[in-house]
Amino acid sequence: MKKDSHSEKQDNLSGIFSKALLTGFIGGLLWSAFGVIMYYFKFSEVGPKSFLLRSWLTAEWTNGWLGDVLSILLAGFISLLPAVIYFAVFKKINSMLVGILYGVILWGLIFYVLHPLFSNVPQLTDLQFKSVVSSICLFVLYGAFIGYAISFDYHNMKVREKHRKQARS
Amino acid sequence: MPDTKDKYPISADIKDNQKFMKERVGVGVSYDLGFREVVVLKRKIQLYYLNGMVDDPNIIQLLKILIEINDNEVDKKKVYEIVENRLVNESVEVIKTMDEAVDQMLSGLIVIFIDGEKSAFVVDVRSYPGRQPEEPDTERVVRGARDGYTENIVINTSLTRRRIRDERLRNEMLSVGERSKTDVCVSYIQDVANDDLVKLIKDKIRAIEIDGLTMTDKALEEFMVERGWNPFPLVRYTERPDVAANHLFEGHVIVTVDTSPSIIIFPATFFDHLEHAEEYRQTPGVGTFIRWVRFFAVMCSLFLLPLWLLFVIDPSLLPKELSFIGPNETGNIPIVIQILMADIGVEFLRMAAIHTPTPLATALGLIAAVLIGQIAVDVGMFSPEVILYVSVSTIGSYVTPSYELSVANKILKLFLVLMTAFFGVVGFTIGFTLIIFFLANLKSLKTPYLWPFLPFNAMGMLHFIFRIPVPYSNVRPSIVHPKDNYRQPTKKS
Repeated sequence: MKKDSHSEKQDNLSGIFSKALLTGFIGGLLWSAFGVIMYYFKFSEVGPKSFLLRSWLTAEWTNGWLGDVLSILLAGFISLLPAVIYFAVFKKINSMLVGILYGVILWGLIFYVLHPLFSNVPQLTDLQFKSVVSSICLFVLYGAFIGYAISFDYHNMKVREKHRKQARS
Repeated sequence: MPDTKDKYPISADIKDNQKFMKERVGVGVSYDLGFREVVVLKRKIQLYYLNGMVDDPNIIQLLKILIEINDNEVDKKKVYEIVENRLVNESVEVIKTMDEAVDQMLSGLIVIFIDGEKSAFVVDVRSYPGRQPEEPDTERVVRGARDGYTENIVINTSLTRRRIRDERLRNEMLSVGERSKTDVCVSYIQDVANDDLVKLIKDKIRAIEIDGLTMTDKALEEFMVERGWNPFPLVRYTERPDVAANHLFEGHVIVTVDTSPSIIIFPATFFDHLEHAEEYRQTPGVGTFIRWVRFFAVMCSLFLLPLWLLFVIDPSLLPKELSFIGPNETGNIPIVIQILMADIGVEFLRMAAIHTPTPLATALGLIAAVLIGQIAVDVGMFSPEVILYVSVSTIGSYVTPSYELSVANKILKLFLVLMTAFFGVVGFTIGFTLIIFFLANLKSLKTPYLWPFLPFNAMGMLHFIFRIPVPYSNVRPSIVHPKDNYRQPTKKS
């Protein structure tokens, strides 16, 4: 009986919501780490720290590895927000494409709409072509990472619910 | 065989049966069809068998018993009952139709017709030609079981059964191929494996219509998963019974095909292909370390060459401390061509090594070392750094536990190299993204191929990143949707 209660607890919405939060956090860590690597190898002239730290702080340490680590951590926490929004709006659509679109939207939001917030980041028109492509790729992967996981979990929950209903009736 | 076909009953006149066997099956034409006639109590008795699948002593023994009836029995009216009684084999069946008789004989059983009777006996003393279980070449471990599957499906299922003495383990036998009638065995643990998955697999196998499965499990696989031109292995093969048993416990379904020493594990993800039995033979710490190093090597085999090419094309990408990377002199041939040539050269070697006879292998190795290594550099064909990176990436692909995956990775690597060569940084990043989405979009029997990475699953990923000690790995992987999620009783706390 304990087994049953356990697996059912996982299957309700709040269980999936906490999973979504975890996915958001890890997605933020992972893809901002990719961002740092891309910045290091100059795939892109802006890295996570250009947004999260350098726009406000100009202290010397933000340019070193500490700045990178801190911005990765920060990105992890900030990334909870997109996960929550995705969970609230798109979770019912079981397709990776939505995640990809979501990534593009996020990219547009950060590089264009919210751009005035980040004083350290050049205008979209001033960015090099390679930076634009790299950052779009990164955001698309990030969006798919978050979106696909949340939709997949939700979809599976629905399938299991249906099975349980069938088993009971 | 279509069901509509008329069934031929066994005739009471043995000459009719003999004629049937001669015309339909080719007794007397095919040399491997054995035929022997003896007279017992003035009634003709005919034996049909395949001489390669029945041991001679068995046939002699059988004939001896039949002839001894003449010395010991007198009741001529009861020949049928006497013969049935005297057949002291463990498996004797009575059949009524000629079709059954032919099928059984071609599977290696002995069919016995008696004149004046409308049924025949089938005696099972077959022994298929085959080898003993040996350690599979492709999946060696330092310690651990050294038995491997063979070409015989009966031995294979019993090797698995020895590891799972559970009454809920099901080995369902199906037959595929109109002409070859290949035995296919679907194995699963009934209260663990997902019903839908088992049903899906069985339906797909039943739907196969083909004359013969000579390439056995590979041919079967192509019927099971929609493949197209995708080079990636969507199912996992193994020749190790312990790996197979472990996957059964996890809720996977296993398909064994007769005459193949490898079995198919359904479904399989990308990350399944990166695991190896060796990890489970070492302490969890060491196992984790091995897994990380292996993952790193596989990533090297994929991304090292394109990345290096990128830095050669555009040295400004390199940070100051890494600026030593890149060839000192570019040589006479563009680096991309050098990479492609060296890589395809390595491919030549790999293919040659597969079917080079052992006595020539040393010579092949020597030629390889000299040719690709030293002389090519001296002559000015290759820059030494190209050799270094091609070698590292090749070794990385040999580290990949799944041979199929390593070959598929090779194709991806070439794609990435070309993308980088044509479009530089942009080509590399777009190529990388495309590869991830291509893989994520693949499905192996409704299972996302990149699970647990995309879609992300924390528990599954944890089990991939760390080799969790067995007492703590309590949860079956959720991707196979097991009916029973727990491997051990959950502790009451």
